[in-house]
Amino acid sequence: MDKILRIDVGAGGGPQSKAVPVGDYAGFGGRAMTSAIVSKEVPPLCHPLGAENKLVIAPGLLSGTAGAQSGRISVGGKSPLTGGIKEANSGGQASQVLAKLGYAAIVLEGKPANDDLYKIFINKDGVKITKDNSLKMLPNYDVVAKMKAEYGDAICCISIGPAGEMKMGAATVAFTDMEMRPTRHAGRGGLGAVMGSKNIKVIVLDSTGMPVRPPKDPAKFQDANKRFVDGLKKHPVTGQGLPAFGTNVLTNILNEVGGYPTYNFKQGRFDGASKISGETLAETEKSRGANPTHGCHRGCVIQCSGTYNDKDGHYLTKQPEYETVWAHGGNCGISDMDKIAMMDFLDDNYGIDTIEMGATIAVAMEAGLAKFGDADAAINFIHEVGKGSPLGRILGNGAAMTGKAFGVERVPVVKNQAMPAYDPRAVQGIGVTYATSPMGADHTAGYAVTANVLKVGGDVNALKPEGQVELSRNLQIATAAIDSTGMCLFIAFAVLDQPDTFQALLDMLNSFYGLSLTGDGVTDLGKKVLKMERDFNTRAGFTPQHDRLPEYFKTEKFAPHNVTFAVKDEDLDKVFNW
Amino acid sequence: MNAKSPAENPSFAHCTFVLEERLVTRFFLLLQQGVKVRRRVGCTVAAFLREELGAGPDTIEKIQSIMLDGKPVDDIGSALIHEGSVLALSAAMPGLVGATLRRGGAYSSLRSAISYHETGEACKTGEGWVCIKLFNQMMAELGPGLLRQGVLVRSPDLTDLLAERAEEFRQGCSAMLDNKALDLGRLEGNRSWAGNDQILLTVTVGPVNV
Repeated sequence: MDKILRIDVGAGGGPQSKAVPVGDYAGFGGRAMTSAIVSKEVPPLCHPLGAENKLVIAPGLLSGTAGAQSGRISVGGKSPLTGGIKEANSGGQASQVLAKLGYAAIVLEGKPANDDLYKIFINKDGVKITKDNSLKMLPNYDVVAKMKAEYGDAICCISIGPAGEMKMGAATVAFTDMEMRPTRHAGRGGLGAVMGSKNIKVIVLDSTGMPVRPPKDPAKFQDANKRFVDGLKKHPVTGQGLPAFGTNVLTNILNEVGGYPTYNFKQGRFDGASKISGETLAETEKSRGANPTHGCHRGCVIQCSGTYNDKDGHYLTKQPEYETVWAHGGNCGISDMDKIAMMDFLDDNYGIDTIEMGATIAVAMEAGLAKFGDADAAINFIHEVGKGSPLGRILGNGAAMTGKAFGVERVPVVKNQAMPAYDPRAVQGIGVTYATSPMGADHTAGYAVTANVLKVGGDVNALKPEGQVELSRNLQIATAAIDSTGMCLFIAFAVLDQPDTFQALLDMLNSFYGLSLTGDGVTDLGKKVLKMERDFNTRAGFTPQHDRLPEYFKTEKFAPHNVTFAVKDEDLDKVFNW
Repeated sequence: MNAKSPAENPSFAHCTFVLEERLVTRFFLLLQQGVKVRRRVGCTVAAFLREELGAGPDTIEKIQSIMLDGKPVDDIGSALIHEGSVLALSAAMPGLVGATLRRGGAYSSLRSAISYHETGEACKTGEGWVCIKLFNQMMAELGPGLLRQGVLVRSPDLTDLLAERAEEFRQGCSAMLDNKALDLGRLEGNRSWAGNDQILLTVTVGPVNV
């Protein structure tokens, strides 16, 4: 991983590629790499769909190695949805393959001269860019089928669906999984639209003939990896809960505590929750011959994913994630799991963020475009997005746009990005992260590694009122660091509870690169990433006033606990004081 | 467990299932919706888990999130079970919010607005109905015992469950309603078994006489 592949889509005669040394970006991976390039090279005031924006795709520091859970890939750019810096990451096969091919990043830059659409093929022999207008407006599954027919079974794909081509604010970048299905998405922030603005439909990767990346100290790396895997397997979340039920195991518990946003964030409990819970989902999958325990990329030992079959036992989609089930389920008043699974498939196929789309449908329902609970209407809305009808163009640009178009006040967004599946009035600490993350409302922005392990900023007294701000700060720092390693964020649970597993992770990094990184080093990396991102946003015109939840979260009581968001603005403004 | 099991309570119709072991898990889905048990109340959550639900130390350690009346409990030694309480039990959950909801965890302050606190109200002691909800790994951990001892369920929920897996149940279990053989093939569409909104359900593993 000592080179960056830069592709100028505006070059004369069509896109031209050039591999350049990694240079000043050496030592960066994943989110650190995308945010470093974007913050340094993209003018913050540029148009997100214009010539000056760049799309950066970067594997993690340990991607392409034999290290477990190292297959996350980051995508970055200036977000068409938020107008700020954006990093969205994904599972799938691409991270491992791109790293094995030796690339620390792919950067798409410039502005196409015309409307021609291109595909890019990368293997050990180099890069081939070909015009292919037959791909225009194809959904992701069809694109991948065509690439498989053309390049064979050993590939993986990075693609956009029609939503990306139409440059919608909810458009994703899709990554194929182990079965070569486009089920993994860098979903948040509309980065698929940036790829669409560069007229690149698909990047096909083939690492045939390329070895696994060798560590500097193979024996130490192998030992650290073994300890790391053992730590993941012995932990009840990564070793039992996630493999058995997937992330949707959260539905029942969030519903029980009254923190499950229902009917467009009106209340915290949904009567139909048990019909769409992870427990019910796993049982349904098993009874239909599908697999509820499956990894999204090679090298995954947590296996939190799965497959979902229809009533006739045919593959319909991958096992929908908790956020997807919530967004299209409880938040829209829908409790039919087959319909929710269909929406998951359609989102993947058209290339739309499931969280943004579900939140948008709920806003549309609040506007009276359909009744809450009308699953067929919800499915039709997604088809409208895929077709690019006038209604679909509005919906495909997200909840904030839809709220404006139809005059809805209750729009659950921060920096124009829809909130995920945890109400910030019930769990106020996550509201601090929704409000202040440079990414907009994002549940993964403050996710990883306890302050008690990293001791970011010293020990936190969680019982003090300001503890929520301190914890959010520390979580955001730690998460930025983990996102930069390319490790799956779900390792956080084992790392959080088991300091020896955290040490094993450090040992993996150190033995691979010949470093002597400590917990402090991880903290410094996280701070550096956040500082770059905050700086970009400031230069893009963001102020403390953008670090706020919508007003109604402070005034509208949330049942069943009748709570409002009570963290003061001046406390929110302290989150990044370190 | 000192209190009378619901299966011995004469106020409700009583349905018993004897089934193959593989089918017990099918009934777990009722447990996430909540089932009622008649047990000693007025005790702490810790005592209730130990003495009324028969949970050993290992099991109690696995129960990382406990919700009492919809509120996360941090101190199971002080929170009290009341008549009519709803007690939900979960293993450790993923995500920041999953970590937040753990009892006494490092992140509990992030959800302080909804945490459980005793109000100091008088708590009746004696026998009473308590609603139990079991989620995720807790279903397999505590579910078979609860089902064997008997639980009170909403009869429409039971009908829906049986209808969804009608053929499987017909082939793998035998059932009695108030000591009379029950024809599982005739349940569909009948949402009020013997006119009862709630029904006592006992599920045991054993030889099936279909």
